[in-house]
Amino acid sequence: MQSEIETVARKNLARVLETPVDPADLDLDEDMVGAYGLTSLNKVLFLMSACDDAGVDLSSFTEPDVAAMSTLRDVTEALSRHAERAA
Amino acid sequence: MSDSVINHIVARAPSPGHHIRFFRLGGIETVELTDFHARAGRLALWLRELGIDRGDRIGILAANSLEWMLLDVAAIRLGAVSVGFDPAKFDTDTGLSERYRLSVLFTDRTPTAPGSRALGEVGPAAARARPGQVLEPLVYAPDDVLSLKLTSGSTGEPKTLTAGVGSVDDDLRAVQEMFAHGADDNLLVFLPLSVVQQRYWTYSALRWGHDVTICTYESAFPALRLVRPTVVMGVPGFFESARRHIQARMGDTAGGDADGVRRNAARQLFGDRIRYLWTGSAPAAAGTLRFFTDAGLPIFEGYGLNETCIVAKNHPGAHRQGSVGRVLPGKQVLLDAEGVIHVRAEHPVCRGYEQAPPGVSQSVFAADGTVRTNDIGRLDEDGFLYIHGRADDVIVLDNGRKIAVRPLEEHMKISPAIEECVVFCPTQTHLVAVVSPAVEPIGPAEERAIAEQLALTNAAFGVDEQIRDVVVAHPRFGVENGLLTSQLKPRRERILDTYRSRIHDNQGSIHAVRD
Repeated sequence: MQSEIETVARKNLARVLETPVDPADLDLDEDMVGAYGLTSLNKVLFLMSACDDAGVDLSSFTEPDVAAMSTLRDVTEALSRHAERAA
Repeated sequence: MSDSVINHIVARAPSPGHHIRFFRLGGIETVELTDFHARAGRLALWLRELGIDRGDRIGILAANSLEWMLLDVAAIRLGAVSVGFDPAKFDTDTGLSERYRLSVLFTDRTPTAPGSRALGEVGPAAARARPGQVLEPLVYAPDDVLSLKLTSGSTGEPKTLTAGVGSVDDDLRAVQEMFAHGADDNLLVFLPLSVVQQRYWTYSALRWGHDVTICTYESAFPALRLVRPTVVMGVPGFFESARRHIQARMGDTAGGDADGVRRNAARQLFGDRIRYLWTGSAPAAAGTLRFFTDAGLPIFEGYGLNETCIVAKNHPGAHRQGSVGRVLPGKQVLLDAEGVIHVRAEHPVCRGYEQAPPGVSQSVFAADGTVRTNDIGRLDEDGFLYIHGRADDVIVLDNGRKIAVRPLEEHMKISPAIEECVVFCPTQTHLVAVVSPAVEPIGPAEERAIAEQLALTNAAFGVDEQIRDVVVAHPRFGVENGLLTSQLKPRRERILDTYRSRIHDNQGSIHAVRD
């Protein structure tokens, strides 16, 4: 079963991809740039929205942190870690 | 030259109470402008110790940072010439000093070339007091060189041109007259500081007393939320991403009036203090401009080239939809018989390229510095300038008809499936579009959307303006593959080179449905 954070991450990634993609069809382990054409600008927009919805402060992440997130799983795990700390 | 902005910065400390901020994900550094000015002065003394003298060139190959801007203002105070290198375009410091005649190059990478130094040296040098040492008094004349600009050539090495102090002063004074940046303003800058105009806003802050925030392109959206700027200095590609994001967020909000929902979503992204948005460097889609205006965020488009600086600009006091504004004081737009725009300036940026392939400088610059822009336009009865495309973009068909391709390209981009479009005429008989899709890989749905847009565009234009085939670019146009400039403009010649065989051979392309 999907965690709430994963649902949030899927929804927000699908949204910045611009053309209709069912969040459930996104592969957690695909490279978001190569597979989904995610631009660096939209990556940050995606992360901002996902942080908002997950209750995580975006300032928890540095630019190297964001650069290291290449898959949806990377994002989900990072959000989960920070959400746990915030809880 | 008592009203020179640059001479003002050299001669006087800024008024207290205003700040320059450098934002990165994970942190923000705030420096009072008076402190920034003092640090730049100490840095200038250190540069002098390194042997840098008036007229010497200081290269900077680095991402936007406090050190970048300190070096630039230190160079101004010393009379040296800054040369900015966009890190997205230059992956090494090797050879730069020789090619651009640099006395020293600072880089935020590991310095490898002789004459290169670590950008990390700048902060400590700017902090170290030098009792008893002072900078020589310095007064710039209008023709003195402030900076060396590198232009995005379509092929090969960039062309270079010097930027005169007089032209920078003219631009800054005109902008201040139009937008009246004041004590409550905070201007957000995220495009590369290697572009001279992005440094204008720090000069403006030092001269007229307002805040300025500098970040990287990727961190611009988080910066908006944190620093709540009043002005955003952007380009169409950035505002297009913002528009899509706002529209997606609007979809989350059920009920309410659409205008109110849009305004709220826009304020959530841009903050609650926006006075206006600035766009330029590439044509903005009319729909995007209208979207932001309707969202309560006035957006003003302008026009200018590296070779001319700012030529025209819409602003709160004079704005006409579809135009790029009125021509700035001190500038004159002349239209030749073909409708090509020539720009004459009281203080030209320069009078020719310093480095360019043979004959190129003479084809652009007249002896008095008047620039042939190669853009086609018109002035209306009230002096507003309209840009219709590039002279290069006018295709002459074998039947003698002239086709301006930009309206076709803009129409194709109405489709959400198409991010960019460039139209070519491979045989003077029919048009072929190369489109960069909004996502990749594209599937049947995207192909169908592109074909539908092709049909709509063809229906909207005349018989000679029909696009017969569409080549879908893979990979998409990007800065990294050289098909977009750093300011996200398509590089027409490179796109043609890359897709030449597919443009000529329509196998695998999307075809217009013909009766």
